[in-house]
Amino acid sequence: MSRLRSLLAGHWVALLCVVLVAVLGPVVPGFSSSANLRNVFSSLLPLLAVAVGQTLVLITGGIDLSVTAVVALASVLGARVMTADGGLLAGSPLAVPAAVALMLVIGLLVGTANGLSVSRLRMPPFLATLAVMTFVSGFAIWLTRSANIAGLPEGFRLLGAGSLGPAPAALLVVGPLALGVHLLLTRTVLGRWLFAVGGNARTARVSGVPVERVVLFAYVACAVCAAVASILYTARLETGSPVLGQRILLDVIGAVVIGGTSLFGGRGSVLGTVYGALFITLLDNGLNLMGLSSFAVLMVKGAVILAAALVDATRERLERGR
Amino acid sequence: MIPSDRPRGAPLLEARGIGKSFGGAPVLEGVSFSLEAGRVLGLVGENGAGKSTLMNVLGGVVAPDAGRMTLGREDYRPRTPAEASSRGIAFIHQELNLHSNLSIAENLFLARLPRRRFTPFLDRGWLASRTGEILAAVGLEVSPWTPVSELAAGERQLVEIARALAADARVVILDEPTTSLGSAEIARLFALLARLKGEGRGLIYISHSLGDVLSQADDVLVLRDGAVVASGLAESFDEPSLIRHMVGRTLATVFPPRSRRRPGDPVLEVRALTRPGAFRDVSFTVRRGEVLGLSGLMGAGRTEVVRAIFGLDRIESGEVRVRGEPLTPPSPREAVARGLALVTEDRRDDGLLLEASVADNLALAALGAHARRGLIDGPGLARALAAQAGQVRLETAGGFARAAATLSGGNQQKVVLGKWLLTRPSVVLLDEPTRGIDVGAKQQVYQLVSDLADAGTAVLLVCSEIEELLGLADRILVMRQGAVVAELPPEDFDQERILAAALGGVARPEEERE
Amino acid sequence: MTRLVTRWPALGLLVLVMAGFSLGSPRFLEVPNLVNIAVQSASLGILATGMTFVLLTAGIDLSVGSLMFVSAALAGKLVVGGGSLPAAFAVVVVAGLIGGALNGIAVTRLGIKPFVVTLSTLYIGRGFALWLTETRALNLPDSLLTVGSARLAGIPVPVVAVALVLVGAHLTLERTAFGRHLYAVGADPEAARRAGLPVRRLILSAYALCGLLAALGGAVAVAQLGAVSPTFGRDREFAAISAAVLGGVSLFGGRGSVLPGVLLGALLMQTVENGLVIVNADPYLYPMVLAAVIFVAVLLDSHVRGTHP
Repeated sequence: MSRLRSLLAGHWVALLCVVLVAVLGPVVPGFSSSANLRNVFSSLLPLLAVAVGQTLVLITGGIDLSVTAVVALASVLGARVMTADGGLLAGSPLAVPAAVALMLVIGLLVGTANGLSVSRLRMPPFLATLAVMTFVSGFAIWLTRSANIAGLPEGFRLLGAGSLGPAPAALLVVGPLALGVHLLLTRTVLGRWLFAVGGNARTARVSGVPVERVVLFAYVACAVCAAVASILYTARLETGSPVLGQRILLDVIGAVVIGGTSLFGGRGSVLGTVYGALFITLLDNGLNLMGLSSFAVLMVKGAVILAAALVDATRERLERGR
Repeated sequence: MIPSDRPRGAPLLEARGIGKSFGGAPVLEGVSFSLEAGRVLGLVGENGAGKSTLMNVLGGVVAPDAGRMTLGREDYRPRTPAEASSRGIAFIHQELNLHSNLSIAENLFLARLPRRRFTPFLDRGWLASRTGEILAAVGLEVSPWTPVSELAAGERQLVEIARALAADARVVILDEPTTSLGSAEIARLFALLARLKGEGRGLIYISHSLGDVLSQADDVLVLRDGAVVASGLAESFDEPSLIRHMVGRTLATVFPPRSRRRPGDPVLEVRALTRPGAFRDVSFTVRRGEVLGLSGLMGAGRTEVVRAIFGLDRIESGEVRVRGEPLTPPSPREAVARGLALVTEDRRDDGLLLEASVADNLALAALGAHARRGLIDGPGLARALAAQAGQVRLETAGGFARAAATLSGGNQQKVVLGKWLLTRPSVVLLDEPTRGIDVGAKQQVYQLVSDLADAGTAVLLVCSEIEELLGLADRILVMRQGAVVAELPPEDFDQERILAAALGGVARPEEERE
Repeated sequence: MTRLVTRWPALGLLVLVMAGFSLGSPRFLEVPNLVNIAVQSASLGILATGMTFVLLTAGIDLSVGSLMFVSAALAGKLVVGGGSLPAAFAVVVVAGLIGGALNGIAVTRLGIKPFVVTLSTLYIGRGFALWLTETRALNLPDSLLTVGSARLAGIPVPVVAVALVLVGAHLTLERTAFGRHLYAVGADPEAARRAGLPVRRLILSAYALCGLLAALGGAVAVAQLGAVSPTFGRDREFAAISAAVLGGVSLFGGRGSVLPGVLLGALLMQTVENGLVIVNADPYLYPMVLAAVIFVAVLLDSHVRGTHP
C-alpha cells in the first residue's frame, strides 16, 4: 500500500493528466479526435523543449526569464536568412540548414550572456535574465520594426507540419532532446554537479565542482532549448515573428513547477516536467475546444496552476510531518 | 539528587519525571532535576542523549508527554517559546537568534517595541536608554543602534544574553555558548555568568566542553539515552568520570595509541604564504604519514591558511607545492585533482548538501573517478560508497537515501570525512573536525585520523582543543595574529607552552582553555 | 560624494543619465520637463513602494500589474455607469486590499510559494479584468483627467500622491513596530517566530499593502491617461521590481529602504524613458536602453553590497 502511495507521490501529475482526459473526453466535442491529438502534440512539443531547458536552470537554483525573448529573436533572425522575400540565402538549398544553425547559435549566445552574468558577474538570476529578456526582445522588435517575416521555404515548414508515419516531425526533435537531458541529469557527473550547485553552491565549490562552468552550461543549454522551440514554433506559424513566444512564460514555469522541480534548486526531473507540460497543454487545449473566451482561459489556467501548487504544498507538508 | 550541606532556597525551576517520545521512540524518560537560584546547572550528554529535547521542553518548543514542571511555586507548562519567554525562561541557542539587519535595541525588545503615546511610532528615546543600561550590564560598549551585522561573534553572544536580561529572565539556558568564541571572549562570558548568578538567576549550561562545565557549574546533570544517569555537585566529578557516565563505559585511552610511524617525504610544502589581513609569511611542511597540528586562538589565521592552500581564498604571495610541483593557481578543483582534501570548519555551511541524500553527499567529490567519459558507473560507485561508509563507521538507520540534514552531528561529520576519503587523497586538511559532535563520534574521528596517518596520508589538523592536538599530532605549530610563532616537536608537547605561544606571553593562571 | 554614490549606485547612475541626456538636448533640464518626469514616475513609485513591502519579507508579487488593471477596470466601470469619483476611489482601495490579501492568504495559509501564487493571480486577474472591460478600452470621463492634471499648492496631484506614499511608507518601515518586524521576518523568519512575532499576520499585511498600493498606482496612472486599455498594467510588475531593486531593496528579504532607495530607482527608470523621448531617439530603442540601465545598476549593486551567493 505504501508502495502505491510513493508511486502516486512521484507521478501524481500523470494521474492528474489521466483524470483531466477522463473528465474532458466525454464532455468536450472533438477532444479525443485524432486531429485534436495532433494539435495537442504540436502545442506540447515546443513548450516541452523550453520547459526542459528551464528545468536545468531551476535545478541549479536559478531561473531564466529570457527564454521567450530567445524564441522571438531566433525566429526573426532565422527567418531573415531563409525567407524567399529577399532573405540572405533566399532560394539556396543551404538556406534552411544555415537558418537552423543560426537560430541555435542565437540560443548559445544569449545563454552565454545569461550564464556569465550569473556565474562571473554574480548577478541574481531573476534580475539578470529579466534585463536580458527586455533587451533581446526589444532588439528583435527593433530589427523588424514589429513586422513579421513570411515566405519561409517549404523544407523548413515541414518541421512544423510534417511527420514520419504517425509521429509528428517535432517529436523526432524534442523526444531525443528530453531523453538526452534526462540521461544527463540521472546518469552523468555533470548531472550530479547541477544538483549539487543548486543544493549548496559553497559545498559544491569546496568539493571540487567547477561551479561557474556548471552554471554557465545550465543557462546555455536552457537558451539552446528555447532556440529549438523557436524552430518548431516558427515552422508551425510559417512566419518569423518578433513577438513569438510572448505568452508562453506562464506555461513554462507552470509546467516545470507542477512537475515537481523546486524553485529553490537542488531538485527536479525531466519526467516531472513532461507530465507538467502535458497537463498544461491538455488543459489549454480542452478549454479552447470548450469555446471559452481567451480571458476565461487565462483565469482557469491561473486557477489550475494555483490548485496544483496547493496540492504540491500540502503533499510536502504531509510528507514532512511523517 | 545527592544531598549536600549547602543551604538551599526553594528551587527556581523544577522538573519531575519528564518524558517525551517522537513517533513511538522514547527520547526522554523520567528526567527530573531542580535548578536553584544563583546556581549553575551543567548539563552534559552525548548527541542523542536528549539534551536538546529537554531544553525544547523547557523552552516551550515541544510539550512533554509525561511529567510536570514548576517555576517558583507555580505550575509551568509553556505552549510556545513566547510563553516560556514571558514566564522568565531565556533560551540562548547555539545558532544565535539575532536579526543581523536590525539594531541591538530592536533585537532586545523586538516583540515588545514601545510606542510613543498616541502615535504608531517607536519610542526611540526609551529604547536607547534602556538598551544602554543593559549593554553596560553585560559589558558591551557599543551604541544601542549598532546593526547587529557589524558585531563580532563574541559581541553577538553578549547581545543574546542582553536579550535575556531585557526580558528579566529568571532562568537562562545556554546551549554550547563557547563554540565560536575566542578565549578573551570566553573569559568575558564567564565573568558575566558569575554576575548573573550573583543576581539570583538560575543558569543551565549545556556544553560538550567538559572542562568548561566543570569549572563553571555548581551542579552537574548527565543524560544518557534519555535518562539521568548521574547528578550531583560539580566538584564531585572530573572529566574521566563524566565521560564514563556519558558513554557508559570506561574509555581506556581517549586517543589511539601513537604508533611508531615514521614520517616520509614532504608531500605538502607551504612557503611564505601571505594574504593581507589574514596571515603573513607562513611556511611549513607536512610529510607522508605525519599529523601536523595547527594550534592558536580564534582569529589567529589558521582557517584562512587552510582555505588559501586549498584555493578557496586568494593569496597575495607565496607558494604551495604538492609533491614538489607548485599548485598554481590554487583552486579547489586543482587541489582535489592533485590529491588534497579539505574538511571545512562548518559542515552545515559548506561541507554538506543538507537536502541531498547521504549517498549523493558521499559521492560528490569522487564522481570523476567512478565515471567513464562523464557517465557514472552506478554499481561501481555504490560499492565504493558502501565500503567508504564502513571505513568511517557511518551508522544510519534508513540507509543512504536519508537526507543529510536528518543525521546527528557526528554522523554528518563522518559523511563529510567519507566524501573526502573516497577521493583517496594524499593530503587531508582538517579544520576543527570534532566540533559539535559527541564523545563517541569524536573517538571514532581520532581513530580515523590516526589510521590515515598510519596509511601514509599527510594530515594537517587545525584544532582549538589543545588536548586533542597533544593526543593526535606528531608536531605542533602555533599561530598567532597571522604568523607562525612556534613549532613544537613531540618532546616539547606541553599544554601551557602552546597556550603561552598562542597568547604571545606568559600563560596566565586563570585561563584553562587556550 | 563618492561614499554616497557607492552606497546608492542608483544615484550615481541617475546623475550620469541626466548629464548624458542634457548633452543630447537642452530641453531636458528645463523645469517643465523635470516636472514631467516627476509626474510620470509617480505611478511607478507607488507600485515599487508596495513591492518593497513584499520584497522585504523575501517574497515577491508578480500580480501587481493585473491588480492595477482589475481595480482600474472596476472603478472605471463604476464611474462610467454614473458613480462619483470618491466612490470609485473607495472601490480602488478595497479592490487592491482584497486582491493583495488573497495573495497573502495563499502564501501564508496555503503554504504556496509567492512566485507561483502571484504568477497565477497575475493571470487570473488579467483574465478577470479583460472580461470586465470586454477586451475593449474603457474611456473615462474628463472629470478624472481634470483631477489627474490638477495641482495642489502648485504641485501636480500625482506627485503629491507619490510623495505621501513614499513618506508614509518610509515612516512605517523605519519608525513603527510593524515596519521593524517586517525587516525581522524577511531576514530570519524562524528567529522572528521564536521571538513571538506574528509572522503570518505580518506577511499577509505586506501583501495586502502591496495590493493596495498597486491599485493606487493604477489610479494615478489612469488619472493621467484618461482611459483603461486592454494592455493596462502589463509588465508593470517587472518595472516595479526593477525600480525597487535599483533602489537597493534585496530580493532575499530584510534589506532596503523606500527613501531614498525606491525614489531613486523609480526616478532613474522614468528619467531614462523621458530622456529618450526628448532626444528623439527611435522608440524601438527604449526597451534596450532601459534593459541596459537595469543591467548595469544591478551589476553595480551586486558588487557594492556584497555579491549574490
